[in-house]
Amino acid sequence: MPRIEVNSASVTFTLQPTRQLTLKEYLLQGLFRGSLNPNPCVAIHALSDITFSARDGDRIGVIGHNGAGKSTLLKLLAGIYTPSRGSCSVEGRICSLFDITLGFEPDATGWENIEYRAYMQGETPAGLRAKRESIGAFSELGEFLNFPVRNYSAGMRMRLAFAIATATDPEVLLIDEVLAVGDMAFQAKARARMRELMSASRLMVLVSHDLNTIAETCTHVLWMKRGRVVRAGPPAEIIQAYCDHVAQQAELRAARSAAGSADAGEPGDAAKAA
Amino acid sequence: MLQHVAALWKFRHFLLALVKLDLRQRYRRSILGIGWSLLNPIAMTIVFTVVFSNLLGNGDPISYAATVLTGMAIWGFLRDSTLNGCRCFATNEAYIRQSPIPYTLYTLRTVLGQAIHSSIALAVVVVMVALTKGDGSVILRLFAVFPGLIILFFAAWGAATISAFANVFFHDTLHLLEVAAQILFFLTPIMYSRRLLDEKQLGWVIDVNPVYWLLELTRTPLLTGQLPTLQMYLAGMGAAVALVGLAAGTVAWLQRRVIFHL
Repeated sequence: MPRIEVNSASVTFTLQPTRQLTLKEYLLQGLFRGSLNPNPCVAIHALSDITFSARDGDRIGVIGHNGAGKSTLLKLLAGIYTPSRGSCSVEGRICSLFDITLGFEPDATGWENIEYRAYMQGETPAGLRAKRESIGAFSELGEFLNFPVRNYSAGMRMRLAFAIATATDPEVLLIDEVLAVGDMAFQAKARARMRELMSASRLMVLVSHDLNTIAETCTHVLWMKRGRVVRAGPPAEIIQAYCDHVAQQAELRAARSAAGSADAGEPGDAAKAA
Repeated sequence: MLQHVAALWKFRHFLLALVKLDLRQRYRRSILGIGWSLLNPIAMTIVFTVVFSNLLGNGDPISYAATVLTGMAIWGFLRDSTLNGCRCFATNEAYIRQSPIPYTLYTLRTVLGQAIHSSIALAVVVVMVALTKGDGSVILRLFAVFPGLIILFFAAWGAATISAFANVFFHDTLHLLEVAAQILFFLTPIMYSRRLLDEKQLGWVIDVNPVYWLLELTRTPLLTGQLPTLQMYLAGMGAAVALVGLAAGTVAWLQRRVIFHL
């Protein structure tokens, strides 16, 4: 029974904004404590206090501005990030569709990369043998599959990545805007495959800026802002609220820039509003 | 801990496919193939034998060469595992960002590749001893070598894992380790026998060196045909357990955070 249970989960990490300390500097600081100006660490709250749950059949859409924590949430669900507070548990076979064009072995051929990717997704040799041909066929790369991936164009890589990543039979599907794939003909095919996957999966979390897709496919929407869920509920209501908010922000910004050009000050405010 | 091992087991096909790829790339991209990869230890051995076999050895160049080549193979395995471990997470970053596979799988990828590479050098030693001494019994002794190799393997995996995590947080780890490795090479009886230091009452320098014990666990049975002493086993295993324990502690401590620093 696929299930997602996120309980007041937070993801916080510290970064050194200017540059990383070297081991030599670190040891020297240990010896002469305080004599060197320490590089201050900044705590980043990528996700704060997220709570939601999903059961079999749910389709969750996640919307929000860039940097709102949407992708971080997906990575938390995929188990790549672990919550620094709270808990996050996902039951069921996960298929995650994000950063899929990364992680090719450039010197290996297309066929070989199909093998690595499939194994990375937890495939067994027997399962792979059954799928190998169909992945190759779906990518439409033909004899190029015998060439090293380093010679592929960006579009060809995308096709191959998409073909491999979607050749699974997932229970929990995590998607981060992978709907724009390759040329026109391939895009239509990719959309069809996505729809197939979405209907086959028992539980889905979709991050997208395409509000129409969200409205069409999702049963529940989370609106995220600065690492928090500001509103959650049925798609129509939340999307409407989000659109109103965006429009309001745009108006505010327009008003500000009008006022700003009058007294030529406060350039930071526009950035803050954005 | 058990969960971690189970997760590694689950992704064994991924690991083996990557190791296979590494080996193919290492040996395919050169005309000499495997011979090329042996060039460094063999060339070093020849140089050492020509220059030092009378000075540091017992006057028998063949047995000196076998000793040095064994030492170079095992030393090279430990050194390269640890040094290449530093780059491990950077090399595999794309996989790390996509799949919740335990990080130790990537250090295992490095160490397994090195292990196979070094086994080839050891195989050359076996052939060399068998041919030059007309002594086929060296092959029978191999069973006594395996426990030492297994202990050595885990020690290298531990070291590679520690250096991999350290390098994420301190980017100069690789550089410092290279310096340390250079020093340790001369402190370890690889091109000289420990007798030379014992005579000068400096045996303790070797006794406290874990690399020496890990090295002897393989070198003694392979070259002399004697089983390693209990002391060797205890010291070698102690070193391996310490490294693996430290690595396990590092993983438990840092595995949640490391992805934010890649």
